[in-house]
Amino acid sequence: MSQLLEVNNLSVSFFTPEGEVQAVRDVSFSLKAGEVLAIVGESGCGKSVMCKSIMKLLPAAAKIKSGSIRVNGIDITEYKERDMTKLRGKLFSMVFQDPMTSLNPTMTIGEQIGEAVRIHYPKLSKEEVKNRVLELMTLVGIDHPKERMKLYPYNFSGGMRQRSVMAIALAADPSILFADEPTTALDVTIQAQILDLLRRVQTELGTATVFVTHDLGVVARVADRVAVMYAGKIVEIGTAEEIFYDPRHPYTWGLMQSLPSLSKGKETLPTIPGMPPSLLDPPKGDAFACRNSYALEIDYEEEPPMFKVSDTHYAATWLLDPRAPKVTPPIGGGIRE
Amino acid sequence: MKHKKNIPLYLGKKILIFLASVFVLSLAVFYISRLAPGDPLVSYYGDRVEKMSPEERDWAEAKLGLNDPISVQYVRWLDNAAHGDFGISYKYKMNVVDVITSRLENTLILGGIGFILIFTFSMLLGILCAWYEDRLLDRIICKVGTISSCIPEFWLSLVLILIFSIALRLLPSSGAYSIGKQNDIGDRIVHLILPMCIIVINHLWYYAYMIRNKIAEEVRADYVLLAKSKGLKKRSVMFRHCLRNIIPSYLSIMAISVPHILGGTYIVETVFSYPGIGTLSYESARYKDYNLLMLLCLMSGILVILCNIIAQIINEQIDPRIKNAETTEVSEVMEA
Amino acid sequence: MNDNVLLDVKNLTHVFPLSKKIAVKAVDDLSFRIYKGEIFGLVGESGSGKSTAARCVMNIYKPTAGEIIYKGINTCDLSEFRANKKMLQTTRQLILQDSNSSLNQRMKVSDIIAEPMKINGIRPARGTMRAEAEFQLHYVGMDHSFLDKYPSQLSGGQRQRVAIARALSMEPELLVADEPIASLDVSIQAQIVNLFRHLQKEHGFSFLFIAHDLAMVEFLCDRVGVMYHGKLVESAPTKELFANPIHPYTKALLSAIPIPDPRRERSRKIKQFVADETNFSGKLTEISPNHYVLMGE
Repeated sequence: MSQLLEVNNLSVSFFTPEGEVQAVRDVSFSLKAGEVLAIVGESGCGKSVMCKSIMKLLPAAAKIKSGSIRVNGIDITEYKERDMTKLRGKLFSMVFQDPMTSLNPTMTIGEQIGEAVRIHYPKLSKEEVKNRVLELMTLVGIDHPKERMKLYPYNFSGGMRQRSVMAIALAADPSILFADEPTTALDVTIQAQILDLLRRVQTELGTATVFVTHDLGVVARVADRVAVMYAGKIVEIGTAEEIFYDPRHPYTWGLMQSLPSLSKGKETLPTIPGMPPSLLDPPKGDAFACRNSYALEIDYEEEPPMFKVSDTHYAATWLLDPRAPKVTPPIGGGIRE
Repeated sequence: MKHKKNIPLYLGKKILIFLASVFVLSLAVFYISRLAPGDPLVSYYGDRVEKMSPEERDWAEAKLGLNDPISVQYVRWLDNAAHGDFGISYKYKMNVVDVITSRLENTLILGGIGFILIFTFSMLLGILCAWYEDRLLDRIICKVGTISSCIPEFWLSLVLILIFSIALRLLPSSGAYSIGKQNDIGDRIVHLILPMCIIVINHLWYYAYMIRNKIAEEVRADYVLLAKSKGLKKRSVMFRHCLRNIIPSYLSIMAISVPHILGGTYIVETVFSYPGIGTLSYESARYKDYNLLMLLCLMSGILVILCNIIAQIINEQIDPRIKNAETTEVSEVMEA
Repeated sequence: MNDNVLLDVKNLTHVFPLSKKIAVKAVDDLSFRIYKGEIFGLVGESGSGKSTAARCVMNIYKPTAGEIIYKGINTCDLSEFRANKKMLQTTRQLILQDSNSSLNQRMKVSDIIAEPMKINGIRPARGTMRAEAEFQLHYVGMDHSFLDKYPSQLSGGQRQRVAIARALSMEPELLVADEPIASLDVSIQAQIVNLFRHLQKEHGFSFLFIAHDLAMVEFLCDRVGVMYHGKLVESAPTKELFANPIHPYTKALLSAIPIPDPRRERSRKIKQFVADETNFSGKLTEISPNHYVLMGE
């Protein structure tokens, strides 16, 4: 498969009165057509900023400092607002965290989906737009679309709103869908439904999906590949099986271990001590070093490069350097069949 | 469905509140104006009052009904007013209604056109600033606007009169029309320019800044991100989404602002000796022209209360979230 | 009555009037007990009434019907409440989800922690209020350098620790925590849950833990109650509930917990739950010791 999206050494900073906040630091990854890449990390690790910077939806205070973004082999890094407008919706589209606020409260659901359809297919007649809206609403699993399209967002429950947002995002059949914590604000039972919907849409339409979340459990259900982000960097990337069954980065170990379902019956949950560093002034060396019980001396001096574990699996930790002492991971332990 | 059934009740409630407010207002104005110092006989008899003997004074007061207790006077006034008789103006010796109608037109021209100008220009200026938010143009307009709205009306009036009427001799400094040219529209317009400028300059920025901030706030909402991510142009986002969402609250604030802008015309009228309600109110308060003062205060009060009620109705009716509160329940039941 | 019962909620109902005609039954005939020294978890989706129930327990809302007996005192009864006001206010403490808005932004950490002591006129055991605040802060794992900071200078986890320190400064017998970890990051959530566990062991207070994250509830709680649309549909000791859920809603809820294992997670189907009136009528029936399920007659 060809690379649909290629991000190389992307750095994004926010220029605030307090100084430069390095939200995304030197991130590289690629996305193939039709695959689901999950980006996992704690709040403030830059996962959401990264997605928005690819779509250029960030406020004016944020700037792409270096790196390149290539879509279908075309470099869009320098694209201005006017060029981006043409790409948005058609090439890539986004679903946001809070379905309560991401719909315009004063427009009916039908109008909002219809608007998205008309932007990309301006020649459609009124009737055709309406049919497309009904088709989209059915696709995302909204029953009684004819009656519901006349309702306003506040008439809808959280799950229904998120389905409507999905319908809007899918209106022009985009190649890439960015889903920024789409289930975080929803209840558990609804969350499962939305995840299955995402998965179904992805297989039916072949939409490549970048799924941003802080919840590893959710990742297991939807992702083909997983990237773990910490303090603005991707620290480990691999297939879902590699990440879940054979994690290599101590931060990934920590994240996995702090999941309560892996500690049933135990006295305490394993935790990652301390807090993520401030991105206003990131520490020298590995940003995770001071929370890492496996940290080596070199971690405080020099940032680890991406070490190759397999063709698809990379991790940025000095533990993978041939000179490093052998460490038994507290979790994982190889891909079982 | 339930919504429609409630309309008579809803209107009834609003009318009741309105009548009660007007009653309280009339009572307050009546008492306060009579308790304030000053001699109403002066406005009726002019300088002759100074030469009156105490007996003559008593007789004059009795004739005008001023020697009864205030409560008795109030009940009498209320009774007459209920029959459409608001008494005569002491100064003009005419029915107060006639005195006011002769002046009303002038104020409506000044205030009405001023209001429309403020309404349109503030909208345009607000959108312009929001579009260029935090860029140079926006910053300059914000600074200039803030300064302009801080200049007191009377001072600005005097400065403009000095420049345009006295130094340049371009525009008249007072009145609504030149003598004998009451029906000459061109002449009226020339007289309107200066007072109109003052009113617009003074109020414009207040509303423009409000629009600017409301749009700027709206632009940061999540749904704007979604609208952009589906490929909508900045212009469409601004006009079809943001502007549409702030218009209800803008309309209701404009409704409340009617008395505010009218209050501004009063001062401007006085400075420019413009023969409108403003100058009339000023005179009636100064000369204790009780009946005139009463009706003028009531009119202003009724206007304030009406505008507030209109603003409230706009707020309640335009926002679909409030209007359709019942359907929410229906669809939730449908989902469950 | 059982001496071991600290809090006994009987047939609690709370109705929010939306308008003159429409009212929402946020809590509907809810009964549960909390024994001394146990951690009771109340789970349910948003709008299931769990927060409303907590607020009724804390006397923030006045219940429409039902009784709340705390240490033998009916807290819904105004005269009984007044007579025991001080005891009730000191021995029951509340922690909220968003300590960003529940801590006063203009107060320093030391003042926030000492405030309940000042209000209730309690003489600090360690000399000054500041020393007491420092002690409590150490207790929740923060050092004295935070005493003079303002809430806005702290991270979410630290703010939640401060809220816990404030609650604990009163040596409560009942701690009510309404979604205390929902807005925190995964690794910080684990820290706070460990802290709760540790503190509960040391102090032995009873703990009403309200959450929607079932995995955390399973880890932390001794007993769990599941709420749906204001009703308690099932309650049982944690192990029993997770091993043997009876009510269809509980089953759906448990099956929706994601498993952090791609192969298992993808191959399993999630149970769909269709709300059906018959599931939510009837009364709580004890089907095995301490395991209650809402069932039709």
